[in-house]
Amino acid sequence: MSYKPDQQAWMDFLYGELEGAEKERMENYLSTNAEARQEFENFKQLRSMLGSVKDKEVIAPPIFVGDGKQRFFWNTPYVKTIVSIAASLLLIMVAGKLLDIRISSGGNEFRISFGAPAVTQPVQVTPASTLTAEQVQAMIQSSLSDNNLAMQASWKESQQKLDASIKNNLAQNSGKIDQLVKQASTASQQQISQYVSGLQEENLKLVKDYFSLTSNQQKDYIENLLVDFAKYLQQQRNDDLQIVQTRMSSLEQNTKEFKQETEQILTSIITTVGTTPSKETKY
Amino acid sequence: MAETLLDIAMMHSDTLIVRAKQGDQGAQGKLVQLWYKRIYNFCYKFFLDHDMAMEASQKTFISMCRSLSSLQDNARFKSWLYKIAVNYCREEARKKKGSRSLSFDVVWNQDAEDSPQWEQTSRRYDSPERQYQQAELSDLLQGALLELNEEQREVVIMKEYEGLKFREIAEVLNISENTVKSRMYYGLDGLKKILERKNITKDTIDYEL
Repeated sequence: MSYKPDQQAWMDFLYGELEGAEKERMENYLSTNAEARQEFENFKQLRSMLGSVKDKEVIAPPIFVGDGKQRFFWNTPYVKTIVSIAASLLLIMVAGKLLDIRISSGGNEFRISFGAPAVTQPVQVTPASTLTAEQVQAMIQSSLSDNNLAMQASWKESQQKLDASIKNNLAQNSGKIDQLVKQASTASQQQISQYVSGLQEENLKLVKDYFSLTSNQQKDYIENLLVDFAKYLQQQRNDDLQIVQTRMSSLEQNTKEFKQETEQILTSIITTVGTTPSKETKY
Repeated sequence: MAETLLDIAMMHSDTLIVRAKQGDQGAQGKLVQLWYKRIYNFCYKFFLDHDMAMEASQKTFISMCRSLSSLQDNARFKSWLYKIAVNYCREEARKKKGSRSLSFDVVWNQDAEDSPQWEQTSRRYDSPERQYQQAELSDLLQGALLELNEEQREVVIMKEYEGLKFREIAEVLNISENTVKSRMYYGLDGLKKILERKNITKDTIDYEL
């Protein structure tokens, strides 16, 4: 009887979420304790009172969820920065145009001015000595002719060098070739005769060998052929003899059969003649 | 009949949730249609104010559509949705704090009952139309509910009107089940006292009905 439900047990029991032994204990507790029963009744009454509050009817408004990921290209940060830079440049240009700012540099000075810069009288510098067109042309021609002469001289020099080297080379090469040809001609006569004799001997040997070999082979072949032919003839003869023998035996068989048949026929004739009353006897 | 069909549809909204998670706007719309009434009524009982309830419900569903893909377990959709709703309700309540209502803790204080602050809070019901509405039983009960503190009110509404299990409420509020039951106990106890104070008993209800 010492059981006293805690708040959790009360709530579980009230909402039917208490199960098993706990539930039984709670029920027992309520059945024995009038005060607790009253409290439970109060809770139940409160619940039924709360239950009288009905849900409010409501129509779900359409909910549009924009796709946050989708961005138009002019909303992208890159485009935004580029456009802002362009806009600021344009602003600067417009301001510059309106204020008529002029920026110039040169002659060791950097100048920013509003409006046209003060025009300073240019100092007339007269060259001390000017060259005329004819003088320039003459100078060019003289330099050209110098150049041409130098070129021709160098060409001639190089040509001469080339000719000399070619001649030297030719002389050396022809000498070498002559020597080589001479060596070749002297060496060839002896060598050729040796080579030819060697060849003839080899040929002779080869031909002899070949003939001896072929004659032996032919002999063997013909012998074999004759032996085979004799064997064949023997076989043929044996076969013929066998055939003749079988023919003869078959003939013999046939004549035997014929004999038997004629005997059978004769006996049948005789028996038939014997059984039937012959009229011929009357005659 | 329509209620039961709606309930069945809510219980079997798994395929709908899967499709909505994949970005199917039709499925998202259907989920909104299915759950709007429940969430709205939860919010309404929390604030006892249609506009604020609409605001919180719409924010809840916008947030649902945006972050549905982050829902790991489809079976926990219900507690997940209520969690969003509770957060928006708390946010709205914070925004309107001081001008709308006072928590039960302050109200139940005997000294505070006669204070100018108490007078100020009941001023929003001063208009005859509002007084008439408040005379209605349902509003009386909901008014009593509004006098509970926020923590108890959330639990009582979710348990009594939204039919969530104690486990689910614990999930929604991210607290232990025992804490939920304690809050529920004190919430019901508080309601009992408020109603007694307002002379609303079972008999009056039966008479009204």
